[in-house]
Amino acid sequence: MKDLFRYVPGRSVIHRMNPVTKLLLTVVICVAAFITGNIFVLLGLLAADLAIGFIAGVPGKTLNILKGLMKIAIFLFVLQTLLYRDGTPLFWIITDKGLLTAATVVLRLVVVCMPLTLVLAVTRVSDLANALVQVLHVPYKYAFTVTTAIRFIPQFLEEMSDIMEAQTARGVAFDKARGLRKLGMILPLCAPLLITSVRRTELTAVAVEVRGFALRTPASGYRRYPFGLIDAAAMIVCAGMIVAAVMIR
Amino acid sequence: MIDIQSLSFTYKDEEHPALRDVTLTVPDGGFLGIIGPAGAGKTTLVRAVSGVIPHHYRGDFYGSVSVDGMDTVDTPLTDLSRAVGMVFQDVDSQIVSTEVEDEILYGLENFGVPHSEIPERLDFALERVGIADLRGRSIASLSGGQRQKVAIASVIALRPKILVLDEPTGELDPVSSRQVFSLLSSLRKDFGITVIVVEQKIMLLCEFADRLAVMDQGAVVRQGATRDVLAGADELEALGVNCPRVTTLSQLLSKRLGRSMPVCVNLDEAETMARGLMA
Repeated sequence: MKDLFRYVPGRSVIHRMNPVTKLLLTVVICVAAFITGNIFVLLGLLAADLAIGFIAGVPGKTLNILKGLMKIAIFLFVLQTLLYRDGTPLFWIITDKGLLTAATVVLRLVVVCMPLTLVLAVTRVSDLANALVQVLHVPYKYAFTVTTAIRFIPQFLEEMSDIMEAQTARGVAFDKARGLRKLGMILPLCAPLLITSVRRTELTAVAVEVRGFALRTPASGYRRYPFGLIDAAAMIVCAGMIVAAVMIR
Repeated sequence: MIDIQSLSFTYKDEEHPALRDVTLTVPDGGFLGIIGPAGAGKTTLVRAVSGVIPHHYRGDFYGSVSVDGMDTVDTPLTDLSRAVGMVFQDVDSQIVSTEVEDEILYGLENFGVPHSEIPERLDFALERVGIADLRGRSIASLSGGQRQKVAIASVIALRPKILVLDEPTGELDPVSSRQVFSLLSSLRKDFGITVIVVEQKIMLLCEFADRLAVMDQGAVVRQGATRDVLAGADELEALGVNCPRVTTLSQLLSKRLGRSMPVCVNLDEAETMARGLMA
């Protein structure tokens, strides 16, 4: 979780792509996955996800996300095959159509969940925000809200573990409890976490105000985000995916 | 110039005033150190200088604060911020970016510094604070002390006329703390900026600040040239402010020997005094 949004520096094609193009790429993959019901097209989209991860130089992370999604995928697959009542029975209550539908649903889930996390791993959040403001003219306030939220995640996790350590030092045995009991122990920690978070947000508001937050315009950004050849190539790939998804349903 | 006249301030929903009748002036190019026990109102005072009080923190505000000719009550906070750079005590809340370079860019971009001037400002801030090697790092990977330096660099890049720092060395080791103070001192010499620092490390204040203000329970109980304030070492100790050991020594000697001794604020002066006594 801590590393979920951590930027992995590099010079890969994906790194050098315009942040807006990267976002477009993820959106297109998701849209294509919902247009098509064809299992081969979905497999192709999954291959595209994996290709993004490997080209960007984060194969470990890619496989980790895949592994993380496996549990939910298997659960969903079993549930779907058991509940789907249409088609010819193969054995017990499992039907051929049931298997196919389950596979489609699960593949779609995996395909949709992967690209955003991968792209965020190789894009600096500030670049994403600045590009959205400059290129798509998203109001800066919204871009700032998103970047701040992402920036706060590791900080909150750090704070959470600080609070837990402080409690452990005073005899709360977090390490011995499991399941619901552990949840019961963690829930009361939300109050101190919430209080420190609200206070922190307040301080951040003051800090940005004294550094000219109110003066920022779309033209303020120092870095420029032009579209290049890589982006043109990515757009062609995007168009190809959409066409394939529409043609082969 | 910073001119504070009979300033009293009570935070909204608080019973007791955080500042009581504070009158304080800092001339252009001055270096004021603020010291005092916890809860004395030091942070509230620097908030009032930067204009965050009364613009952000509400409450009962009496008296006047004038910064670089602007009355802080009448001037919008953004205009005040052009003149006053502020480094807050809680560094993590102050940092808005995920990367070091972006953090320094942030203020420069907002205040509309011409883009042609930005690379030079970036280099200037990073090098002056001595963190040029951290330029491409992510904030999350930095230690508390390194983050503190990034926060200082991000404010220095803006080249404010007045620099206000609330415990800027809280997370720093002794060597880095000294570096920060030498940096402030050199900026003051090179650009004539005014520096106000809340600091607990009295040795550093003695060496670098030319004026001291001692606070207790919301009031400034002593202020003046550093040496004059230290002359009242007994009073300071009573307030819980530790004086430099050389100062305590010179005071103790003057009491024991029954003759007035010069107030020592650093080791060299103490050595001269000791040699003089032995001769």
